[in-house]
Amino acid sequence: MSLPVRAYQHGIFPRSEDVVAATRGLERGRTGRADVDVAFHADRESFIGVQREAGLDYFSDGLLRWQDIFRPLVQLSGGMEARTLVRWFNNNSFFRAPELNGDLALRAPLPTEMAEDGDIPEPKAATLPSPYLFSRAAHEGHDRNALMTEIAREILRPVTEDLVGRGYELIHLEEPWLTYFGMDAGDWDDFEKAVQEVREAAHGATLVLHTYFGDAGPFVDRLRRLPVDAIGIDFVETDLDELGQGWDVGLVAGVLDGRASPVESVEGTAAFARAVAETLQPRALFLTSNCELEFLPRDLAIQKVRRLGEVSARLKKELA
Amino acid sequence: MRPEKSSTPDPSVDQPELTSTPLLTHEVGSLDKPGWRVKAYAGKPLTDQDLDEAQSWGRRIGVEDYTDLLTLLRRAPLQAKEQKEEVKRWSSRYGLRLQESAGLDAAYDGEQQRSEMYAWAVAHTEGFAWRGSVRAFDNKYYSKAAVVGPISLKEPYHSDEFAFLKGIARAELKVPITGAYTIADWSFDEHYFQDHDLNVAHAVRKARRHGARRQFILDVARNVIRPNLQALIGLGARWIQLDEPGGSTDPEELDLFAESFNESVQGLDGLFSTHLCFSDYNLFFPGIEAMTACRQFCVGFANYDSRDLGVSSEARPGYAVISKFRDLPYRPSLGLGVLDIHTDFIEPPELVRDRILYAVDVFGDPTRIQVTPDCGLRTRSWDVAYRKLQNMVEGTLLAKKDLGL
Repeated sequence: MSLPVRAYQHGIFPRSEDVVAATRGLERGRTGRADVDVAFHADRESFIGVQREAGLDYFSDGLLRWQDIFRPLVQLSGGMEARTLVRWFNNNSFFRAPELNGDLALRAPLPTEMAEDGDIPEPKAATLPSPYLFSRAAHEGHDRNALMTEIAREILRPVTEDLVGRGYELIHLEEPWLTYFGMDAGDWDDFEKAVQEVREAAHGATLVLHTYFGDAGPFVDRLRRLPVDAIGIDFVETDLDELGQGWDVGLVAGVLDGRASPVESVEGTAAFARAVAETLQPRALFLTSNCELEFLPRDLAIQKVRRLGEVSARLKKELA
Repeated sequence: MRPEKSSTPDPSVDQPELTSTPLLTHEVGSLDKPGWRVKAYAGKPLTDQDLDEAQSWGRRIGVEDYTDLLTLLRRAPLQAKEQKEEVKRWSSRYGLRLQESAGLDAAYDGEQQRSEMYAWAVAHTEGFAWRGSVRAFDNKYYSKAAVVGPISLKEPYHSDEFAFLKGIARAELKVPITGAYTIADWSFDEHYFQDHDLNVAHAVRKARRHGARRQFILDVARNVIRPNLQALIGLGARWIQLDEPGGSTDPEELDLFAESFNESVQGLDGLFSTHLCFSDYNLFFPGIEAMTACRQFCVGFANYDSRDLGVSSEARPGYAVISKFRDLPYRPSLGLGVLDIHTDFIEPPELVRDRILYAVDVFGDPTRIQVTPDCGLRTRSWDVAYRKLQNMVEGTLLAKKDLGL
């Protein structure tokens, strides 16, 4: 079979020990902002180099300065603040839940964390939270679906438009909430409309909705009808046999475990990815980790990115 | 100068169970480490500011003979191991006195002699190898290890610390010790589970992963936690809190969490409680119904609560779940988290009071409510931590007055 295969690394990438020390020192008054900037800059250069050496097909900045997947967007938007610390699913990591205190409205086209992207090679990929995740992670007290629509329209749509205008070719929406906590049947239509907002903004770019931290099997039929170019599946948590056949949408296969330290074999992972391709026959196949890699120390995460490149190279050769 | 004499009750004499004391106040675990402690232990020079800090806190919280510490610190940078250990013991004494002088009924030392709750345990255990830093949130990180071989205890790692504190404590001592589930959950597994190959049938891989996970957790409980508890009890510890901030991480593993607690304490002669924080506590039910030996659940709630005064359920959204703890069949107490440890906001005594009154009303029994911060206060400065604790004690007194206790 002939199938286009591409690989990229999504989500927040871990910080180096230098950044850990610098940011820790900043909070304790032992280092200055300039030292922190130098450390972050080195991390960014290093991560771009790792992606390049691994032969990945899209490039990311690794969201290294993001304190969590919502924070820069919350800070960019009026009517919202980040306060309460909440566990990030079943991990020993936490995010500050977005909390509404007024009308949502962006203060600028892009967070500063995303605006300085001149050093990222093309083609570029950006990661954003899915509107469902964003609305459910926000503090309670609002009509969740109305909030989802508002977040999509007032935040994700304009940010996506700006990113695409800046040349980003892939927009990756992270959606662990759906597969971890599920979704009420009555919420799907509103979710689809919210995704459509981003779809329209991502005109000309590849739009991905990536589910993870849970089994996508129960949701796969509805997921495949969403207005996106590819659906991401966490294959550590999802049984391939539950996903049907003959996909009429692209697939992002999460085949490297972002929460386990052993680095998977090239042979075994490529063989599994090939089985995925042959079983599901997606329109396009993207390879990546099952979740963001920030749960790993940086050295291990770098090994995973390199392994992703090796798996991708082997699969491209086999499916050429 | 106050006498350096222990007031810890004689364990051979029957005492009322501490977790049945109405509105007993206690800390949860860690405090920040003073600059003088960190630098002196690392063999670095100290500044005048460090010495001033040691002096002012020594006075403020009534540390006896603190001028001896100043004499020691003036010799910095310290090179001799015994001098560095002495600095740690001083820091331990300061941590204890801070809590005691804030007015807490039960105290410890803010874990001043430990490196960190997870790192300290792993460093004293065979079978682990360090892998690097992982972020917990914002700019907070922790060092993460992997289990790489059979697990065994090098030596009980809280005994020296407890023996020291037992000799100087004025308040009751409650020993915080990191629990088995959390140690396992915060570690990578490179020993028990090796079927990472996705080509293995999904159901088979999932079952193997759960089995390996259970073995890992129970090995920590049996080979690490239990011998530590036995050693502490042998030294006279009466109340030991198994810290399990990882306890609710995975709802599908609550059976393992409960089993690991029971396995750690089963048959031991002590008062055992646990600490949980920063989770959706609804997930714990009914899983923790199996933890019948747990006499108190010390749980963080203030982080989720409003800062408005009031004792209605509308005014206290962060405490909505507490009725589930009330209804546990073995009737444990609730260590009610009333201080948000992630903010410098100093909870007014009246807010503490209202949180307590709400909880007492829900439980209908003040003997099942004790009063605590949400978690250890190590992310706050000592000044903020101290003022928070003082207000917690003052708020508890207000609540007692309202309740006629």
